[in-house]
Amino acid sequence: MQKLINKYSKAVVLIIVSWVSFSCSKDDNISNLNETLFVRHKNADMPAYIHGNASEKVFLVILHGGPGGFGLVYRNSTIKSKIEKEYAVVYFDQRGSGAAQGNYSRDGINIDIMAEDVLALAKVIKHKYGDDSRLFLMGHSWGGTLGPATLLKDQSPFLGWINVAGSHNTKGLYQEYIANFKRVASEQIDLGNDIEYWNNVVDFVNSIAPEYNNINDMYDLNSEAFTAQEKLKESGVVNKDADLNDKAIFKYTPLTLIWNTLNTQSILDENLFENIDFTDKLSEITIPSLVLWGKHDMVVPIRFAQESYDNLGSTEKELVIFEKSAHGPMFTEPDLFADKVIEFINENK
Amino acid sequence: MKLKLQLLIPLILSLIKGYSQSIEQTKKAVNLTSQSFLERTEFKIGYSGNIFWNNGLNFGAEYLLKETIKTKNRRGSQRTNSHQFLLNGNLGFTTNFSTSTDTGIFTNYGVTWRRTNKKGKQFSIEFNPLGYYRSFLPETYKVSGDEIKKVFLPGRGYYAPSISVGIGKQRKDKKITGRYFNINFMLRTPYNAGALPAFNFQYGYRFNFKKKHKDAKIN
Repeated sequence: MQKLINKYSKAVVLIIVSWVSFSCSKDDNISNLNETLFVRHKNADMPAYIHGNASEKVFLVILHGGPGGFGLVYRNSTIKSKIEKEYAVVYFDQRGSGAAQGNYSRDGINIDIMAEDVLALAKVIKHKYGDDSRLFLMGHSWGGTLGPATLLKDQSPFLGWINVAGSHNTKGLYQEYIANFKRVASEQIDLGNDIEYWNNVVDFVNSIAPEYNNINDMYDLNSEAFTAQEKLKESGVVNKDADLNDKAIFKYTPLTLIWNTLNTQSILDENLFENIDFTDKLSEITIPSLVLWGKHDMVVPIRFAQESYDNLGSTEKELVIFEKSAHGPMFTEPDLFADKVIEFINENK
Repeated sequence: MKLKLQLLIPLILSLIKGYSQSIEQTKKAVNLTSQSFLERTEFKIGYSGNIFWNNGLNFGAEYLLKETIKTKNRRGSQRTNSHQFLLNGNLGFTTNFSTSTDTGIFTNYGVTWRRTNKKGKQFSIEFNPLGYYRSFLPETYKVSGDEIKKVFLPGRGYYAPSISVGIGKQRKDKKITGRYFNINFMLRTPYNAGALPAFNFQYGYRFNFKKKHKDAKIN
């Protein structure tokens, strides 16, 4: 019995020691960074997860969607296996999102303060890794709203802007949803794809107010947009997700994620859908820009891709349409996505 | 529908009346004054976390404040349950190893109500209105305008009341006096622009430093 206890106690100690060692191990090698640091700004502590090759001191800062999403969802195999091999990628949990914590009132979270948070993050990266660090900013979806808000405050810390299906005009989303649903439904019915579903979509958009007058209709349209994308995937119009980062869910407590998302959206959304439109100000953004969009995006319809490209003030800008993608080209055409991002950074670093 | 209710209500009332008539109940308060502090105190240690995300340890102590023995005679059979009120204090540590973004220590104080049946099976409700949670963050930089400073011992303090509901098993006259399994709900506030709820499991053991009575059963 004593022998048995001795045998197992050694094994248990060994397992605990290994677990602690591996879980605490950090690879601080500059060519393979694996760091988490927090930015404290205006009563919020926001984590930045920095991974990849920083040997050239080039950092790609990713602004997640939502509002209220989380940074590490983008650490999928493409960004991890391709972009991180070339450059360091900074996955940032914004104020009120992911694992960000703090103590502020409902007035303490708005797009202005969140844009200042991104500039604070840029300062911290330059402080930690050197003033010669070169930063690129990428925003996806809501991140494409926060990106222009940041750059319109100060674009000097960044060498380039990458807009991935970002809604620079959230005020205009409601009417464009209706127009886009009708257009896509007509195309899909003509093609004979899911005719019953698309007829129901037409009935649905005909039944709601033609102009934005309450947030619930907006949420219904947004929710239907995600359902429609799934239908497009089932019909083979859009590629299936190649490499969603399922492991990211283990990085965050789900209740914390959901709770933060609901809270943050309940504070920000009405202002977004009623007031935010950066279209006329995009001309003030003059750094090199890359606009990446899925042709079949139902969540931020493709009309905004051309609008974004046309209005950006950059002399060096490019618009890339992903033919087999919807709202997440990094997931549905991952190789092309990574190639375009790396090419853009190579040209402008 | 109305007719059904008119029939159902008298039926339920007559059942309750009949049931209560078949129960005789006696209550007897246990005299605790003769017991020493250590005899009235149990300590506990256990796992606290939600397996996949946060994991940690919880240490605590429970001081027996009041105990009542309730005996029920129901249709000839006798059931004896003890009902205890205890003062309760905990100190815990929790972390998510994968990113270290949710590491913290917490302490909370309150009362526990616990029922133990004659087989030693327990049900308890633990309410801790006095609670504090201190988060510990990795490397943190504070930005104020153009000034950037590394923060010493970064983290935040939260008021963190909690409530646990659980089951357990008493082991009489042993050093390890019982084991418990609780589901714990803790609120951290103010957290961002509101409060943060969190659910955890707690599994652990209770023990004491009582002197064994001479007539106690040797185990």
